[in-house]
Amino acid sequence: MDNYEYIIEMKHITKRFPRIVANDDVSISIKKGEIYALLGENGAGKTTIMSVLFGMYEPDEGEIYIRGEKVNITSPRQATMLGIGMVQQHFRLISNYTVTENIILGSEPQNKLFGFIPHVDIKKSNAEIAALSEKYGLKVDPLAVISDLNVSTQQRVEILKMLYRDAEILIFDEPTAVLTPQEIEFLLEIIRGLRDSGKTIIIITHKLEEIKAIADRCAILNHGRLIDIKDVKDTSTTELARLMVGHEVSFTVDKEEARPGDTVLKVENLTVCNEQGYKAVDDVSFEIHSGEIFALAGVAGNGQNELADAIAGLKQVRSGKIVLDGLDITGMSIRERIENGMSYIPEDRQKVGLIMGFSLKDNLAVRKYYTDSFSHHTIINDQTFDEHGKRLIDDYDIRSSDGNSTIVRAMSGGNQQKAMIAREIDMKGKLIVVMQPTRGLDVGAISNIHKRIVAERDRGAAILLISLELDEVMNCADTIGVIYDGRINRIAKASELTVNEVGNYMMGVSRSEVKDGRDDMQKEGGEGA
Amino acid sequence: MIDSIIIDGLAFALPMFIMAIGGIFSEKSGITNLAIEGLQGFGAFTGAFAMVILTNAMGTGTQVPYYISFLVAAAGGMIYSMVHVILCIRFKANQVISGVVVNILAMALTSFLTRRLNLMIFGETSNKFILETSVRYDVPVLSEIPFIGAAFKRVYPFEILIVIIAVIAWYVMYRTPYGMHLRACGDNPHAADAAGIDVGRVQMIAIVLSGGLSAIGGMCYAYSISANFSPDIYLGLGYLAIAALIFGNWSILPTLGACLLFGFARSIGHEVIKNLGMPSTYNDLVRTLPYVVTLLLLIFFSKNNRAPRALGEVYFRGKR
Amino acid sequence: MKKLMVRLLSGEKHQMFRISVFAVVISLIFGAAVLLMIATNPFASYLNLLQGSGLAPKRSYAGMRNMFTDFMSFLDAMTPMIFASLSVMVALKGGLFNIGVSGMMLVSSFCATALVGYSSLSAGIARPLVLIIGIVSGALVGAIIGALKFKFNINEVVSSIMLNYIFMYVLTFFINSYYLDPVSRQSINISDSARLTIIDIKAFGLKFDVPLAFILAILAAFIIRFVMNRTTIGYEIKAVGLSPAAANYAGINIRKNILLTMVVSGALAGLAGVTYYCGYVGSIQPGVVPGLGFNAIAVALLGCSDPIGCILASFLITVISKGSIYMSSQQGVEIELADLITAFILIFSACSGFIKEYTDKVERQLKEKNFNEKKGGAQA
Repeated sequence: MDNYEYIIEMKHITKRFPRIVANDDVSISIKKGEIYALLGENGAGKTTIMSVLFGMYEPDEGEIYIRGEKVNITSPRQATMLGIGMVQQHFRLISNYTVTENIILGSEPQNKLFGFIPHVDIKKSNAEIAALSEKYGLKVDPLAVISDLNVSTQQRVEILKMLYRDAEILIFDEPTAVLTPQEIEFLLEIIRGLRDSGKTIIIITHKLEEIKAIADRCAILNHGRLIDIKDVKDTSTTELARLMVGHEVSFTVDKEEARPGDTVLKVENLTVCNEQGYKAVDDVSFEIHSGEIFALAGVAGNGQNELADAIAGLKQVRSGKIVLDGLDITGMSIRERIENGMSYIPEDRQKVGLIMGFSLKDNLAVRKYYTDSFSHHTIINDQTFDEHGKRLIDDYDIRSSDGNSTIVRAMSGGNQQKAMIAREIDMKGKLIVVMQPTRGLDVGAISNIHKRIVAERDRGAAILLISLELDEVMNCADTIGVIYDGRINRIAKASELTVNEVGNYMMGVSRSEVKDGRDDMQKEGGEGA
Repeated sequence: MIDSIIIDGLAFALPMFIMAIGGIFSEKSGITNLAIEGLQGFGAFTGAFAMVILTNAMGTGTQVPYYISFLVAAAGGMIYSMVHVILCIRFKANQVISGVVVNILAMALTSFLTRRLNLMIFGETSNKFILETSVRYDVPVLSEIPFIGAAFKRVYPFEILIVIIAVIAWYVMYRTPYGMHLRACGDNPHAADAAGIDVGRVQMIAIVLSGGLSAIGGMCYAYSISANFSPDIYLGLGYLAIAALIFGNWSILPTLGACLLFGFARSIGHEVIKNLGMPSTYNDLVRTLPYVVTLLLLIFFSKNNRAPRALGEVYFRGKR
Repeated sequence: MKKLMVRLLSGEKHQMFRISVFAVVISLIFGAAVLLMIATNPFASYLNLLQGSGLAPKRSYAGMRNMFTDFMSFLDAMTPMIFASLSVMVALKGGLFNIGVSGMMLVSSFCATALVGYSSLSAGIARPLVLIIGIVSGALVGAIIGALKFKFNINEVVSSIMLNYIFMYVLTFFINSYYLDPVSRQSINISDSARLTIIDIKAFGLKFDVPLAFILAILAAFIIRFVMNRTTIGYEIKAVGLSPAAANYAGINIRKNILLTMVVSGALAGLAGVTYYCGYVGSIQPGVVPGLGFNAIAVALLGCSDPIGCILASFLITVISKGSIYMSSQQGVEIELADLITAFILIFSACSGFIKEYTDKVERQLKEKNFNEKKGGAQA
């Protein structure tokens, strides 16, 4: 019956975007029932080529064959009809709909009221979804509303969405980016189960361990080009890494032993509420010393944003105290905090960190524009703006088409990030709050930024590094704090904790339980090597 | 006195309610719709024009032109709403600006056309289409009930029409696949797109529906408070409808409450002035009441408003 | 056609200006089409617009009048338009959409009329007082809208529209009750010494009006431009307008800036009010929300949110509205045509962002194609 060798064949796909060729003559072929990985750094073109397959983009050149037949996929709807499903990195869920409503959206079973008035048959759907989740072991409550669910459950909803549409080809875009090690393990188990029931799986990732753990074959992309296709079991992790980056890489951050000095930041019994009035940060206390990197680990949405915003003054505190270098700053305005030596690199550079419609030099001056040399009696001193911008652009290698006067919106994500980091580090503050500094950056840029952060530590700054990437936490931290559901679950010297312990604390496991389980978990201990 | 407060209040509130329902459809699909003001005016213009032509042709003895004029108004509003569709969806213009543009164009276009058509067809220089006020009925039995019976006295036929449309609108919004798609687009268009929903099409239909509904609302006002079509139809009632739906939290029933409040504020004011024997100039002060009430209500209630999440967001497919 | 459009509109230099010109040309073509449809000569009609504005000579003039008379009257009409468009523009820079210019104009001119317009103060005191009252009352209304925005989260569009109607009705009540001229059905004309336009001056054998505030309007545009581009005040307002979250993060006080933006915008709208009602017209018509406040939106959009652009756009829109009276009388067409053409301009200006992106995209494609062709040629 299957008179084709490959279920998917993408031949000579080229996709151009303004200023960039995202896919350059990429050809891949995937067999039915295999787990196929696409490996590459951010910006390598992995997501683009899968978006082409899923009908989100139309390729500029190239052909696609599904089950041996040439197809022209112009919309996700058509991809769905061809049996292709995709879980995107940012979940595509309607926040105020129930699980069932989200799954059936776009292909709702209908019934006729009084035999002629059409309506959505929600009762039948609820039963169907319950049965489906049972069948694949994906536990969800069909009646739960999406905004009440955690990330890993939302991901299960996304998977069910594909299964409900009888997808045979399942694409996962960076499915583990937001999960804890334990959740990752569980997800990989689910994926294996799906493969065993005959589905074809494509997984986009830049995490080598996952590929080793699960994939059969692996295509490596770099700068839009296909570098190689490897059988995973015959290829070492270091070989894969070399292919991905294009040169040898070391995974560790070179840094000397920390020499902590005086306490710079002292957070005492801090409680912060989110918009819904929920205690997102609940009675949190910790201290950071000068010359110390305090890394806060945790799964997304456990209060990290609120904590960082509260320290930086973007969010009001319900109770508790924040002391910066002996000065109580709890009630201070944002500007007063800045003037007292605080820098903040927020997670969302596009909405918060940068004014996208401003020029680069205006953005670089955003912390200082009102100070003496930048303006006099409110009249702006252009020369200072220019010189300040030029200096940072040179020092931090910020690349843009027009230098100082480039509108920031027109810059690449990596360079936007560099600009923001340059500006904040240049403040030479006593405390630097850094949130997800390397999100969306490639390996080279990441190690550069890590070096900068370590250099700041060695200069004597206290650094609060908030990261969802466990690797980053393990590599950079002198001290690790783990936050779970708004509470600090554990604080310890970095050298005293293993990856798995941190992962357990991130799941809310208490300290005594972690101790007991220590011996059972050794698998991922060598991650850093 | 209570009777006329209820009767006038309803006659003012219900047309506003149907405009607000149109607005809810559009805004729930993610498109900010300030264009209601222009849509109702344009709808009233086409409807009134049809009425004038039809009465000329068929005489005044029949109710047929009256009902046809509503259909024509709705069609006019729907066609005119395509301007908002094209600006917002095709040209990705700022939706607030587009709405204002649509309103200004409606004012200019209908005033120009009214004069022109009057001149061409009737040889008159007038900026009005004169209509008769609509007939009114007492609903048998129900209108006999003391106190609440007033709600069924001297009822305009369109009031009943509006109630029926409101029920259908609720059903479409919350029970049909289209309604489900529509609300999804307003919350997360990317998700809707990924689920195979044509976001642009859903939003287009929503805007066009809102055009039709607003037009019916405008036609009601032309038949009730002014008894003609003239540029005076642009009284900001469309904007009041928007305030009502904001105050009603983008849900149909609470929005009805808001509309009733505006309507009764107005009718109570008028009654007070009439009964106290104040000069008619004071009516101008009473006319401010719905607007003042709107502002006050917004002051107290807009803090805990929950607008559709993607409202006003220009949707680009490729955007990640 | 496509290539021509791209050639004309792409490239960074003065791109927005060129797109605005493009929008105007397209609108005039649309307007010409409408004129043709009603069997009127568009060229003659457009010439009438210029003639009515004193920019081209009419065939005949009444005694002691010539083109200069018309031109001075044109400047008189243009003055409030400049202020009103600056008001909309400043608000846009701060991320706010001020559709309340009309209401502000009514309030400011009414306050000035009631307080100074009927007094016997000498011109040297009355005129500055009118300006000051205009500024202060307009700014107050702006402050209300700003406060409603940041304190109660009320969209400025909704609140300013509500205020427009509230002010209109309240003023109608007061004018009808206390200040009505029974013949003109408008408020009684204000005294000449308070009026910001000197009416019917006789000089050089001519009779003409002198709009005293015109210079002030031009000056205001340059001041606003300086403040917006070269001071930290403008820097903060623009930052808040572009991204409130990022501005807040930078330590900029959002509330203060929203309020400041609306106060400045209101003050300018107030000036528009007094220069219109207490200058150009001399009295207030009850029961009408002035359309100038809405046309100002068209002007601000057309002027690419630049003060100097606003002056140019004011010039154009005033030619259309002012000249339409003459056009109407000469061609026998409806005076509403002017509003229609203005509305066309507004529509095409609203699309300017799209036009910009579209031409940029097509330009890139053409470049790429040329590049590929060249490459292909080289290989062959």
